[in-house]
Amino acid sequence: MAFKKPLAALAATALAATLAACGGSDGDNESSGGPAEKGGEAIFFIGPRSVEHWDPQRMYIGRDLNNSGRLFYRSLVALPASNDPVEGTTPVADLATDTGTTADGGKSWNFTVRDDVKWEDGKAITCEDFKYGASRNFATDVIIGGPANYLFTYLDIPTDADGLPQYKGPYTKKGQELFDKAVTCDGQTITYRFKKAWPDFPLSIAQLRYLDPYREDLDKGDANNFVVISNGPYKIDGTWKEGTGGKFVRNENWDESTDPIRKAYPDTWDFREGDTDEAIYEQLLADSGDAQRAVTERRLPPALFSRKDEAGDRYSQVESPYVDYVLPNFNSPVFKDANCREALKLATDRAAWIKAGGGENYFKQADSVVNPGVPGYQKNAAFDAMGASGDVDGAKAALDKCSAPKPVKIKFTYSGGTPTSDKQASALKAGWDKAGFETELDPLEDTYYSVIQKPDADFDVTWGGWGADWASIGTVIPPLFDSRINLTGSSNGNDYGNYKGGAEVDKLIDEAYAEPDLEAAAEKWAAVDAKLGEDVAYIPLEITIFNFVHGSKVTGYANNVSVNGYADLAVLGVEK
Amino acid sequence: MLAYVIRRLFAGVIMLIVMSIVTFALFFASPIDQASFICGKNCSAAQKEQTAAAMGYDDSFANQWLDFAQGVVKGRDFPDDPALRETAPETIVHCDAPCLGYSRERGDTVTNLIKDTFPVSFSLAIAAFILWMIGGILLGVTAALKKGTVIDRGLVGLSLIAYAFPTFFVGLVLYKFVAIKWGLTELPRYTSIAEGGVGGWLSSLTLPAITLAVFFMAAYVRMTRSYVIESFQEDYVRTARSKGLPERTVTYKHALRAALTPIVTMAGLDFAGLMGGAIITESVFNYPGMGKLAVLASSDFDLPTTVGLVILLAAFVILANIIVDLLYAVIDPRVRLG
Repeated sequence: MAFKKPLAALAATALAATLAACGGSDGDNESSGGPAEKGGEAIFFIGPRSVEHWDPQRMYIGRDLNNSGRLFYRSLVALPASNDPVEGTTPVADLATDTGTTADGGKSWNFTVRDDVKWEDGKAITCEDFKYGASRNFATDVIIGGPANYLFTYLDIPTDADGLPQYKGPYTKKGQELFDKAVTCDGQTITYRFKKAWPDFPLSIAQLRYLDPYREDLDKGDANNFVVISNGPYKIDGTWKEGTGGKFVRNENWDESTDPIRKAYPDTWDFREGDTDEAIYEQLLADSGDAQRAVTERRLPPALFSRKDEAGDRYSQVESPYVDYVLPNFNSPVFKDANCREALKLATDRAAWIKAGGGENYFKQADSVVNPGVPGYQKNAAFDAMGASGDVDGAKAALDKCSAPKPVKIKFTYSGGTPTSDKQASALKAGWDKAGFETELDPLEDTYYSVIQKPDADFDVTWGGWGADWASIGTVIPPLFDSRINLTGSSNGNDYGNYKGGAEVDKLIDEAYAEPDLEAAAEKWAAVDAKLGEDVAYIPLEITIFNFVHGSKVTGYANNVSVNGYADLAVLGVEK
Repeated sequence: MLAYVIRRLFAGVIMLIVMSIVTFALFFASPIDQASFICGKNCSAAQKEQTAAAMGYDDSFANQWLDFAQGVVKGRDFPDDPALRETAPETIVHCDAPCLGYSRERGDTVTNLIKDTFPVSFSLAIAAFILWMIGGILLGVTAALKKGTVIDRGLVGLSLIAYAFPTFFVGLVLYKFVAIKWGLTELPRYTSIAEGGVGGWLSSLTLPAITLAVFFMAAYVRMTRSYVIESFQEDYVRTARSKGLPERTVTYKHALRAALTPIVTMAGLDFAGLMGGAIITESVFNYPGMGKLAVLASSDFDLPTTVGLVILLAAFVILANIIVDLLYAVIDPRVRLG
């Protein structure tokens, strides 16, 4: 089965709605700043959040996955530079000759590596490079931080009692024979064998980089964290300086004729780390100096939003792939009771939360934990009764049935430390208290995740935010709510509310995973989401809106769906 | 004098050991799970445990500190895993003594991180130091010599105003208006001598050095003024005048020399403090110095980098103290070390 239309059709519907809502695009491959041409020096402001890894197997930040995939890392398949909801989310062949084939409904996938593609030093890219790249994910004591868990779940390698695979990676080679059976090379054709069907596997490797090829002869483990071994149009000039950035220059061993995606217009890309958002946007709004040739993934700070008109058509607004939500803690004495959770849901004032966060320029109401941009998205009807501002009377009625002593005292632990987050928390508290809760606010800063990931943590409600790892609900619901992969004695993983769906939810998740037809799978995921809504496993709040400004000498600027609405560096150019 | 220096150095080493223990202890007292920061968002409990083990964070406080101390004396391997040394030696990073650790967050030894960032902080410190010492002492002496005049009042008033402005404010004003809005200078980006020559290096330091110097200069104007005025009232100045020495000799040879002693002390300590990184200035101008590194290291709980920077900064201050004490004896003939 080749991965093609069903998912794309679903994506079309969902993304058309998403992007139209923002006015950022009508689905065409819209760009600004005139047509891009070769030459010039482009700048990317990384901002205060430094690149954590340039090691493809360790990367897990959307910005870095997108940018590296557009400039210096290629995969078997990749998403084309397009803002068309269908085209932009349908993988095309990149280093492979096609988009992958499966003869068993997704239980194994085959790709053939092109013969004419090279690394930056001129060495040919081989099937073995892909196999070695895959193997690195299993060295979990060295290659830390990446999305290897997906591979552990699917690749046909047995696991130990602690849930980790029996293969321990290429450095120790423990269990090597297990890996050699699961991933094989026959000439330039690589085959991945899975424990269960993985129908959207090509989409996964188009959006994440954990199965990118890697050079065994250049591998130095952790010391390669910021080493770029390029196979794309650019290579690093010198070394990457953490906290400062680095410059990328043309890779003479990249052949444009082998690459259907990357246009590589600028001669160089200067990636600059460390500037504050204010410093970046002061330069971009003033369109001063070399900021005229700059783009960024940082968002226009609220304090500067009123100046957006200074940027004219250099300003763009797009809907983000993220959803924020709150979670009742199923281990708390109060929220073990479904009536108490129902009361919390009905008392939640999403409009007040959004207003406190900056209003509709920064947020849009969410109606599911799944972002509307994810194929198969369906509005979760369980949250209809909430309305935009909550249903105080309904909440009071539900609270009457809640078994907790009245007034119902709850503690809301959230990621605080900024005036905005505190204002938003206060807005939720006002709504909850109006319905009869007595809310204690508990803002945490650096310790936030350490605290809420403890199953015995002393909180009743907490906050979470998530974006799909690739365009599939399977990368949203299971990572957040599948208790089998999240809950252990010492941690709740990403299931901060300690939700245990039990046999019913487990079965629904397994059925959705096993469904090879992506359209049918989407329906099954919607059923899981409906059950989560019924149980009030989460309460959706909002979808973040991105506000960007770019420099006046940037050409071909496009916020494409293929890079989650960020600037698509594959097609962007600068005036010389 | 030699015995004095040896005694002071020995005390300094003890102090550094205590400081490293305290820094380790602070990290251990923190409720933050450092391994979580490295492990990423989709990390199972087993992976977190494995990450903690790989970073050595699962070891006892005493063992972690002893490993660190051993690295300072003998050097260390990262990871220190005999099995990996056999099967994949290319993945092991050796850190020569004095090894201050290896940062998993930054993928490099702390020694290399300091080597990269020290020139930036040193450049900034030296440029600012020259500005504030020349400006501060000249204006302070002028104010003292013109005591009670409009010039004195003006200088004192201006220095008070400059002193009142926080460094980050001065930096932001210079950055936003001088560099961005008015375009009077290039946007400050640190340029090494190797990259931009001496001209480029000096030019890149202009705004950050002014930012840093303004605060210190204001303080030194007031300090110099009061020390000079004070020394003019000393008996030996009166004696010099009564001996009929020219006023210029009295001023420069007797009064100013004595007034310089406390200024040298302060300058030495201030300069040493800045060698460890001007945290605010480097952050405002995004200068990749040790101050910026310290901010990043503490925000992502990078223990090895934090400990290394703390120890280095402490070493600078201890050394500066010793040098200042030695300079005392040179500047002020009344001082004898023993």
